[in-house]
Amino acid sequence: MNAPARATRSRYVPPIPAFADAFAAARASLPGKEAPSILDWRQRHFDRFVETGLPTSRVEQWKYTNIARAANVPMALAARPNVGLGDVQRYFTGGPLARRLIFVNGHLASELSHVRGLPRGMRIESLGTLLQDEPDWSARALGGPAEPHSFADLNAAFLQSGAWIELGDGAVLEHPLQLLFLTVGQPAAVMAHPRIVVRLGKEARLHLIETHIGLAEGHCLTNLVGHYELGEKARLVHDRLQLGSAGTSFVGLNRQRLAERAELKQTLATLGGSLVRNETDLHLAGRFVEAQLNGVYMPIGEEHVDNVIRVHHEAPDGHSDQFYKGVMDGRAHAAFAGKIIVHQDAQRTNAFQRNNNLLLSDDAEISSKPELEIYADDVKCSHGATCGELDPTALFYLRSRGLDRAQAESILTFAFAAEVIERFVDPAVRKLARECLVVRTPGGAGLSDLL
Amino acid sequence: MLKISDLHVAVDGGSKPVLKGLTLEVEPGEVHAIMGPNGSGKSTLSYVLAGRDGYDVTGGTVRFEGADLLELEVEERAAAGIFLAMQYPVEIPGVANNYFLRQSLNALRRARGEPEISAADFIKKLRAVAEQVGVGQELIKRDVNAGFSGGEKKRNEILQMVMLEPKLCVLDETDSGLDIDALKTVADGVNSLRSPDRGMIVITHYQRLLDYIVPDFVHILADGRIRKTGGKELALELEEQGYEQLLGEAA
Repeated sequence: MNAPARATRSRYVPPIPAFADAFAAARASLPGKEAPSILDWRQRHFDRFVETGLPTSRVEQWKYTNIARAANVPMALAARPNVGLGDVQRYFTGGPLARRLIFVNGHLASELSHVRGLPRGMRIESLGTLLQDEPDWSARALGGPAEPHSFADLNAAFLQSGAWIELGDGAVLEHPLQLLFLTVGQPAAVMAHPRIVVRLGKEARLHLIETHIGLAEGHCLTNLVGHYELGEKARLVHDRLQLGSAGTSFVGLNRQRLAERAELKQTLATLGGSLVRNETDLHLAGRFVEAQLNGVYMPIGEEHVDNVIRVHHEAPDGHSDQFYKGVMDGRAHAAFAGKIIVHQDAQRTNAFQRNNNLLLSDDAEISSKPELEIYADDVKCSHGATCGELDPTALFYLRSRGLDRAQAESILTFAFAAEVIERFVDPAVRKLARECLVVRTPGGAGLSDLL
Repeated sequence: MLKISDLHVAVDGGSKPVLKGLTLEVEPGEVHAIMGPNGSGKSTLSYVLAGRDGYDVTGGTVRFEGADLLELEVEERAAAGIFLAMQYPVEIPGVANNYFLRQSLNALRRARGEPEISAADFIKKLRAVAEQVGVGQELIKRDVNAGFSGGEKKRNEILQMVMLEPKLCVLDETDSGLDIDALKTVADGVNSLRSPDRGMIVITHYQRLLDYIVPDFVHILADGRIRKTGGKELALELEEQGYEQLLGEAA
């Protein structure tokens, strides 16, 4: 596909020239800089990014996030700030035996990382190292441009680091693997472009923990791309925690493809960041796939959180379940757009979607857009979106036990969001998320005993 | 201790009268059973006492230890010593049962000007009470009522009641959904609270509960008023004759 048709051109805006300047400056320093295959791969993606432009809110997928306004600004590739073990240790999750790759503003911090002692049949490597050491293989493995996507293309052009995770048939990584992305806000606008590639062979199992942590206020746009391929009967548990700091932004695109009887359990909590957008493109490509997407977002102040999900049921007997909850306070704005597409031969599909929201302030806003597109006739699909205030029956119940109204409201607000947090598989992720949840709950200081 | 005089209550924004002149007096140490057919106003009475929204008092008074109960907020009534064991306890995912109970207990103590209970004393007390009312130690740590069976929820209500030591216990159909063993355990918990300075109102459909929690008085509530009052034998009469016949005699 070429650039968007001329009639729709106005829905995209051309990138400012600063992107070309940044690209020209970065090319010489990015991994794979000596390899024509990588240089060519980057160039093709960059050209297409320029051709496509940045989406405005007139593009359906970007309806609720004016990304052109936020991202079409001069940004240099982020340098690597100094971060020591003491700064990051409290964000270690997955238990004492977890392996860990740590990135700081998009750069691998190898001295803080460790992925040693892997069993046979597994490969966990820094993507930056791969691009540098095996450029031709990397260019082939990462693949040519599929359909255009402004931010995926931009990510390829500037790709600097990330993780290549490959588990062969039957490989089971016993302890979790944590990808810890630290963002140190900067005085001037900068950007980082990491990527995660996960390939699980037949019956392979992985518990992946992906944490994004803001360490200082200031600017930094992280543009993450994730590619997940799950083979037959493979199982991925994916705990994702986003704790961005004030001023930092996040744009992410995850594409997941699941083969027959594969299982995905993803839980995502967004508890910080000025602008956070999570796009998910999930394909149930084989029969009897089980996919669970849990999410919770709790923006405060002027924060903006946007979740865009497309679930494609392409084969029969698949089961997908989306369960997203949101709590909006202050002048925050959140959006949830979840679409379920059931292809013609995806008979006996079960596809569910729930999106429940709680507005704590008159100035907060939620846009919720559930969509079903069904071409098969024997399916069970449902979607429900709610937006409201705390359940008066529950409030009465707590007050009748002596708690005053404010205390009861704070406990119920916490509980509303905690229902999703409880679905994190790793206890340390759950604990971190609960701590942040308490901070974001009105009257949360009184809830510290809950932790 | 509790004096309800000619109480009129309406629901649905005041358009639908439910209680139509209910009068009832409960003294310390007494256990009053209230029985009545569906829709007679039993649950309405319990909610009005606890202060739930949506019930408009259109006439009459309720005094609790000399104070105007109807003027108090829900939590003020709890602090004054009123506890309602609910027919449908609420599930609160993400909030542990023991945390919730300690918060409640301390909120009540603060409101009464008493010091908060220490963590150690609280746990000791909670363990003992849980054992007494048949709530498993693992339920104590689980989220409040989340995923509990009907019987577990009711037992959890009694656990809260025994822990919070109210002056007036109101039990709203605590027996519904309980098998006979659970019923006995729950009744034992309630009976352990019987004391000369504590009053109780036990609302039930069935005489069965009253075999275990033996009341001093039985009232039959129908069409929004107490239609007949007697001793514990009235419940047995009711069991034999049914509401229609019994109330037919009264009329």
